[in-house]
Amino acid sequence: MNNLILQVENARAYYIVENNYIRAIDDVSLDIREGEVVGIVGESGSGKTTLTNVMLMNIKKPLSFIDGKVSLFSNGRVIELNKIPREELQKNIWGKETSIIPQSAMNALMPTKRIKDSILDVMKTHFEEIHEKEIIDKAKTRFEEIGVSKDAIFRYPFELSGGMRQRAVIAVATLLNPRFLIADEPTSALDVSTQKMVLKTIQNLREKGIVKSIAFITHDIATVRQIAETLVVMYAGKIVEISPMEEIIREPLHPYTKGLLYSVVTPEPEVKKRGVYHIPGAPPNLMYPPPGCRFHPRCKYKLDICKKDEPKLKIINNRKVACFLY
Amino acid sequence: MWLTMFKPLFKSRKFLVSISVFIFIVLLGVAGPIVYPVDPTGYAGPFERPPSREFPLGTDTYGGDLLAKVLNGTRTSLYIGFLTAVISMSIGIIIGPISAIKGGIIDEILMSFTNIVLTIPNILLAILIATYLKVRSAEVIALLLGILGWPWFARAVRSQLLSLINRDYVKLSRMAGYSDLRLAFEDLIPGIATYAFMSFILFINGGILGEAGLSLIGLGPTKGVSLGLVLQWAVLMEAVRRGIWWWFVPPGVIIVALTSSLLMITTAMDEVFNPRLRER
Amino acid sequence: MPILMVKNLTKIYESGMIIRRYIEAVRNVSFSIEEGEIVSLVGESGSGKTTTANIILRFLKPTSGEILVDGKDIWRDIKTFEELREYRKRVHAVFQDPFSSYNSFYPVDRVLYQALELLDKNPKSPESKSLIEEALISVGLEPKHILGKYPHQLSGGEKQRLMIARCWLIKPKLIIADEPVSMIDASTRGGIIELFEKLKEEEKTSILFITHDMGLAYYISDKILIMYLGEIVEQGSPEEIISNPKHEYTKNLIESIPTLYRRWE
Repeated sequence: MNNLILQVENARAYYIVENNYIRAIDDVSLDIREGEVVGIVGESGSGKTTLTNVMLMNIKKPLSFIDGKVSLFSNGRVIELNKIPREELQKNIWGKETSIIPQSAMNALMPTKRIKDSILDVMKTHFEEIHEKEIIDKAKTRFEEIGVSKDAIFRYPFELSGGMRQRAVIAVATLLNPRFLIADEPTSALDVSTQKMVLKTIQNLREKGIVKSIAFITHDIATVRQIAETLVVMYAGKIVEISPMEEIIREPLHPYTKGLLYSVVTPEPEVKKRGVYHIPGAPPNLMYPPPGCRFHPRCKYKLDICKKDEPKLKIINNRKVACFLY
Repeated sequence: MWLTMFKPLFKSRKFLVSISVFIFIVLLGVAGPIVYPVDPTGYAGPFERPPSREFPLGTDTYGGDLLAKVLNGTRTSLYIGFLTAVISMSIGIIIGPISAIKGGIIDEILMSFTNIVLTIPNILLAILIATYLKVRSAEVIALLLGILGWPWFARAVRSQLLSLINRDYVKLSRMAGYSDLRLAFEDLIPGIATYAFMSFILFINGGILGEAGLSLIGLGPTKGVSLGLVLQWAVLMEAVRRGIWWWFVPPGVIIVALTSSLLMITTAMDEVFNPRLRER
Repeated sequence: MPILMVKNLTKIYESGMIIRRYIEAVRNVSFSIEEGEIVSLVGESGSGKTTTANIILRFLKPTSGEILVDGKDIWRDIKTFEELREYRKRVHAVFQDPFSSYNSFYPVDRVLYQALELLDKNPKSPESKSLIEEALISVGLEPKHILGKYPHQLSGGEKQRLMIARCWLIKPKLIIADEPVSMIDASTRGGIIELFEKLKEEEKTSILFITHDMGLAYYISDKILIMYLGEIVEQGSPEEIISNPKHEYTKNLIESIPTLYRRWE
């Protein structure tokens, strides 16, 4: 197995709203290894966006990091991200070691600035002194590598098409060759044909060695399936299954994974054959999660134990599943 | 329906405080002159006396009882504000919806007209008209302010209706065979009601301030008393320089309290009715 | 005879007072829907699919062309308010956004009351009460959990089911479903799709299913229409379209859709 690049251990991160805890991430552990693309899939409210914030340790109110450990492995050193103050993270970690492609390109680029100026602004947060020409040359090269014309850096964001803009954001996010990249629903705001292009771009980042590992966050299994080797399934603030992609598609273990996978509709004959399933009910309110397994109120295979005890991730061959059926 | 809509208002401290201040001033204006039945325009006694037991707010240069003037002035100012609001509102509530619903050339004409009125410098026109009229009653002042105040309201109502008409629930009501009238009463009016109510309050505010402004430059009502007129005389007689504070402080305080309480009512309502906050 | 026949439909938007500008939102569109058939209209945003829906629903007047429902031209032959009401009973709709489908001032029961009033029934009568309960149960909702609630108290899926319950009461010949599941979470989406299929099976309802999701169109429809820049560029059975697309746009679209059971090369 390859070396670890990022490790999340028993992390809890809650939103505090009017003295109530919303348990967005509750006892989550996840390893990201070098050279890996990990897909993290979940529906709205599953905690996947909170998990991205925890992996970056980008904790802003009302979110608060309750306990757990987030370690970054860098050249034989172990950096405990959860012990580092925000200013230092901003200066030395974000962009250099870890980076993120946000959901909407519009949130990442200042609409009133040329892309070049946005890049220079970002660099100023990392270095005391910057050489403008050097950075711009570097950015030009990166834009070309990613398949965007190098002149795009002299344009305003609105002058680029949706796909170009998203790729420009990718170029900016990876300018300092971060080892670990998080892509948070990077394609969901785009047209189908542009989606494929952007997905290929992200795939190429690893092949060209620009980044080492990628975490791809999405609600769409069919999309993440094209790019990730490992799939992490989240439900109600917990990881319910971790498995190699091909195996989980062939045989999902956790009842929630089954329901989610069988509800995917793609234009394939297999889909017509198996039908489209749905899971009755709705995800729980994370202020008052149900006792035991958080999925048990919607689960058709539930046992008595599911209502009382919380299932832990159990190792089955090279897979992990949190369910008492196994 | 209306009850559930307005209930959350009474949990807002800001709203409760401001509405109490407003009601208190309205009571001053309505009940004050009855409880203290002194002729505000007559000569009550000695000149320029500070507040005393006999004259609780003192007297002015002509020996007028200032408490009587302030109480009656509050009444007139509120009356002008209210009347202005009714006039502005009526014009806006007719032009806005017609423009939104009819569309096309009617919309273009009405909106051009609205924009023309909007670009006229209000106070300038008011000065022109007021100088032509030798006798100006409170109603004339209200009419003047009302006719100039409606355009922004008409435009806002029009754009709100345009967005409401394209909401899915309005389409669904139309698909249920609703007549235009029923649609207006059940889906459109409730949608703009809170906004209209808030605008009404702002119009009252505009009327009160407009009257005070016109009066200060000598173009207020020619008979009766209003808060603006009391202030105008205080200015003319240089009450500020001569330190006759009891002449200009009470009417000033009432105007400020009145308008700021009205503004606070609207901001409190805005906070409560903001759909994003209501969702939770 | 088809339930719906659209012939050479064109809609041109005009704007500008002095310098007139024209935008052709829908250009020469023709198609038909038979009884008990689900037809999908697939296109990206801006392809003119929602404009087409609004014209069929009589919210928007076409520039030219005909729309025949049961052989009657809906823009020429419907003149009185009564005739329009009759039309509303025959053609109904489910919209995309379950949040904007409800007026937040009223309890959700209102959408069902409206349906009963359209059928000239008193919504408060005991008969109506049992009709409402029947409709709710048939779309998988528990009446006592739904009735009397306000829109923000229900989930998106529940709201969309309630919209289908409304169609269940009215029993229209044709439903225009404009992206009815695109705002619903994946794991609950299947339940809504099932309800449309049930309407088709049990009531022989025809459905025009408007969507940008090719997978969904492939799964649910008997016929697919591909709309691009205001025109229908291709139509055929789902299998034909997926396995043998002819138009460049369709080819590109199908190639770009991520598949679950196959990994891209």
